[in-house]
Amino acid sequence: MAVKAVQRRELTFWEKLYIPQIICGLKITSTHFFRNLFLHTAHLLGRLKNVPASVTIQYPEERRPLMSRYRSRHRLTLREDNSPRCVGCMLCETVCPARCITIVPGEHPDPDVEKYPIRFDIDLGMCVYCGYCVEVCPEDAIRMDTGILDLAAYSREAMRLDIHELMGPKLRKPISDCSLEFPHICASADGEMKGGWDSVPRSKGS
Amino acid sequence: MPSLTIDGREVSVPKGTTVIQAAEKMGVFIPRYCYHPGLSVAGNCRICLVEVENLPKLQVACNLPVTEGMVVHTGSEQAEDGRRAVLEFLLANHPLDCPVCDQSGECDLQNFYMNFGLYDPRFREQKVKKQKAVQLGPHVMLDQERCILCSRCVRFTDEITKTGEIGIFQRGDRAKIGVYPGTELENPYSANVVDICPVGALTERAFRFKARVWYLSSAQTVCNGCSQGCNMDMHYVLDRPHLNEGARVVRVKPRYNPDVNQWWLCDEGRYGLEWIDKARLQEVRGPGDTANADTNSGKATWEQALGAISKSLAEWKAEDVGARIGVIASAKLTNEELFLIREIFRDALGAQVSAWVPEDPGTCDEFLVKADKNPNTRGATLLNLTSPDAPEAERIVDEALAGNIDLLWVFGYDLVEGFGEQKVRELGEKLKLFVYSGTNENPTQALAHWGLPSAAYVEKDGTFVNHHGRVQRIGRVFSPLGDSREDWRILLELGGLLGLQLDWRDPQEIFLGLADAETAFAGMSYGTIGDQGVEVACTKPTEGVTAPW
Amino acid sequence: MVEILLIKLVVAGLVFAAVLNLAGFHTWVERKQSALIQDRIGANRAPIFGFTMLGMFHGVADVLKMFTKEDIVPDRADKVLHTIAPFFSVFFALVAFAAIPFGPPLHLGDRVIDLQVAKIDAALLYVFAMLSLGVYGVILAGFASRNNYAIMGGLRATAQMISYEIAIGISLIGVIMVYGTMDLAELVRAQGQLLGGWVPFWGIFAQPVGFIVFVTAALAETKRLPFDLPEGESEIIGYFVEYSGMKFGMFFLTDFLETIVVASLATTLFFGGWQVPYLTEDGFLFPWGGQLPVQNWVYVLLGVASFSIKGLIFCFLFMQLRWTLPRFRYDQLMNLGWKGLFPIAVINVVVTAFVLAFLGGSS
Repeated sequence: MAVKAVQRRELTFWEKLYIPQIICGLKITSTHFFRNLFLHTAHLLGRLKNVPASVTIQYPEERRPLMSRYRSRHRLTLREDNSPRCVGCMLCETVCPARCITIVPGEHPDPDVEKYPIRFDIDLGMCVYCGYCVEVCPEDAIRMDTGILDLAAYSREAMRLDIHELMGPKLRKPISDCSLEFPHICASADGEMKGGWDSVPRSKGS
Repeated sequence: MPSLTIDGREVSVPKGTTVIQAAEKMGVFIPRYCYHPGLSVAGNCRICLVEVENLPKLQVACNLPVTEGMVVHTGSEQAEDGRRAVLEFLLANHPLDCPVCDQSGECDLQNFYMNFGLYDPRFREQKVKKQKAVQLGPHVMLDQERCILCSRCVRFTDEITKTGEIGIFQRGDRAKIGVYPGTELENPYSANVVDICPVGALTERAFRFKARVWYLSSAQTVCNGCSQGCNMDMHYVLDRPHLNEGARVVRVKPRYNPDVNQWWLCDEGRYGLEWIDKARLQEVRGPGDTANADTNSGKATWEQALGAISKSLAEWKAEDVGARIGVIASAKLTNEELFLIREIFRDALGAQVSAWVPEDPGTCDEFLVKADKNPNTRGATLLNLTSPDAPEAERIVDEALAGNIDLLWVFGYDLVEGFGEQKVRELGEKLKLFVYSGTNENPTQALAHWGLPSAAYVEKDGTFVNHHGRVQRIGRVFSPLGDSREDWRILLELGGLLGLQLDWRDPQEIFLGLADAETAFAGMSYGTIGDQGVEVACTKPTEGVTAPW
Repeated sequence: MVEILLIKLVVAGLVFAAVLNLAGFHTWVERKQSALIQDRIGANRAPIFGFTMLGMFHGVADVLKMFTKEDIVPDRADKVLHTIAPFFSVFFALVAFAAIPFGPPLHLGDRVIDLQVAKIDAALLYVFAMLSLGVYGVILAGFASRNNYAIMGGLRATAQMISYEIAIGISLIGVIMVYGTMDLAELVRAQGQLLGGWVPFWGIFAQPVGFIVFVTAALAETKRLPFDLPEGESEIIGYFVEYSGMKFGMFFLTDFLETIVVASLATTLFFGGWQVPYLTEDGFLFPWGGQLPVQNWVYVLLGVASFSIKGLIFCFLFMQLRWTLPRFRYDQLMNLGWKGLFPIAVINVVVTAFVLAFLGGSS
């Protein structure tokens, strides 16, 4: 094993005395202390508001802006008729290294679409936020741009997002009533199929 | 025997062989769409272009007979360029909806594009719209946009089934596949067009959106739908139960066997496998349990069942009244199991054993479908379980009703269907011991004293003999569902409890014992059977045996 | 007699209340001061009726939390000693305040009240005895927990405290020699003189080296950074690993109490205690000849204020040091104690003795 000897600087006499160095240290900490004390007092009095006294971000009230490529909670993008863009190709389910995606496809009445998910679950308890599902999606149907970071839940079941929560990122479990109209396996109906294509306003051309 | 050189290697082939066959023989794969070894040569897809020295242009390998001294280059730059251009033409109007296409993953368009295509598409014009999601018949969906007009399906219906439902309509870039007006693609072999379709134009309705093909695992097995014993590959998914509603078998594809089914499989066999995953017997039911007991408490176990049955059998044996034991075996059992039944019940206990059950003959044709819907009637015959000196099932039931039989063991056969519920109920009251072992729920098992769940044939190893006398190994695809056990395991254990000297541990060893005992199987082993099977020593049906129907 | 007892009880109660409140206040100061040093905001939630008072109620919340937390005693621990140990710690830290004079004698009618809980001739020795006994709490806690890490922490603490007590003791011999007394009240009174008519005759001017040695060693006694090896709560595991709830809180409180003790002692010994420069019992007597007579109660008030302010400045300084310096390694700690402070203190004593002898034993 190669050994590299690092030459450390010899301490000078004053440094060895230690006390002057302590005073240097105290000078730094005290500068911060008194500067911030002054600024905080000024802020309380309504002055110098433009000079920040601390770097703290008061988290729940204040949020740091996320990078545009930040990977937050998933969502399913929608068509004009509020049905999912997803065509149930299961590439995300295939590529997912954590195997947290569960898709059951169904037949779409529009032969140009053919396929759509009647069930689409993402188990956030297992998700590793790699973003491969977004990368692999040929339809831009899944994105991780909701900016939702607080994903804690009281049960594993609640960590399992179903199609309602994925299509409406503001929804959280328990979902009392379902507003989705196309046929899907519905959590609010005990996992039974619910909905029909007749009530979905069809966009022209189909 | 002209000899030619393909990719620098010399090969001699019979006269009349085409270049694509010659190349195939020496292991060189030439891309093809329209060419299929089981069909006539159409030569219209042009993807099998090869370079032949001294010929000015590229030639289609599928339609080019070999000549003496021919020098062929299959992978030369010129050949690949030609193929790439052909592929670009074929894909010009292709919708590229691979994400929703059930073929993607096993699609030759995808494969060849990735193998030698990899061009940047130059087609800027509007693609021609055609019909999508057309139902051709009970089993087949058509997507006209994905079709490359290779005409394999047309030739299949013309040449193999000779029904001719499919044709090509219109001309030019509007040409499309379809069925003739007023007809449906509903011949007994219709789903084969899906297998031969090289792209996603023809897909199975039963497999539609069930799974993606890369989720599927595959295992070799043999169809048990009739005595033809077609070879097939079973495709299944075990790790994604949300697909296919939890059923393990997702689809079945024919496996090439030139002596049995070639490339084909009938629809009846292809779609007749639901029973493997549905309404299966999964728990041992003893005399104390009701047929549909929900509670787990007091459930009988295999130990109790086999202990009780073997105890009764041992008593009869001690009293030397073996003739009061009746066994109705089944031609759905493997040779190994039938052999064990014969060894234990007929030879050691002296019981009356029959594998000959009354059944109505099913549909049949001259191609693959046979009227005998039991996969192993020939095997039972070879083991002398259906010959005239063996009793018939009907006689056993009559004797039991007459009080001459105390114990009856039925393997898989639904007595209620054959003899009516009244008789079976009477049997349940009269018999001292009434055992039913089978795979699925049926009325007979509910009336029997003991209901033993046995494994489906894809859950056990073993061999069938088809009507032609070909011994074929069925192979084991799954492990038995729930508490069910393979019949050979039940029989071996029972033999052990009865103190019989059966020193075999698995079907392979049982088969070796069978091969020793029966001249028809002499010298065979699982090794010699392989995955294509072998013919038994005497291929003619035994003299004097007529089928019961 | 009863009156004296009552007066003493009142004085003791005052000291007790002041010290404990100051210790509680310290938790807030610690949070806020460190936050300001590190450009943070610090604890600012914990509202009472919507008021947060700059996070001051966090101390209250802490106490509530400590009291309501489960008190876990390890299964095979010595239950009695485990319970007694934190009380030992707090008790000796509190008792040390008894001997510290926090103001000049108060004249109430014709009664003279000493602002000192106990007037002891050898008060200095008493204070050090109490501080030394504090080590029992630590070693008992480590010992009674039946935890190898705890007892190692306890042993570390014991070794450290005993080592540094020697340096403290010797550093103060100089002070005792200069002022010729061990009575703290006398010592403070002696510091009221002026040196050369201008400079107050405080310990810092008489014994600068002794002061530095004292402050360093005394910091080590408080077991706070940079000498917090006995505890090292975030990483090295100290003697109180097995403590929870208010018992743990008491160890924590001890730290703050000891800081206040040390601050008070430094004030008393080196910064003239309650002395205000140029202020005598009769009023201000400035060296340039000015004069400002004050009432006795003003004098006492100024004295108490002087003591308090000096003490608080020391508390601030210690806190600032705690957030400035990193922790010593154990060998460095022992080197500093035995090879640094101890010889310096000894030399200081010898030099002081020579100087005093040279000056002709002026006091």
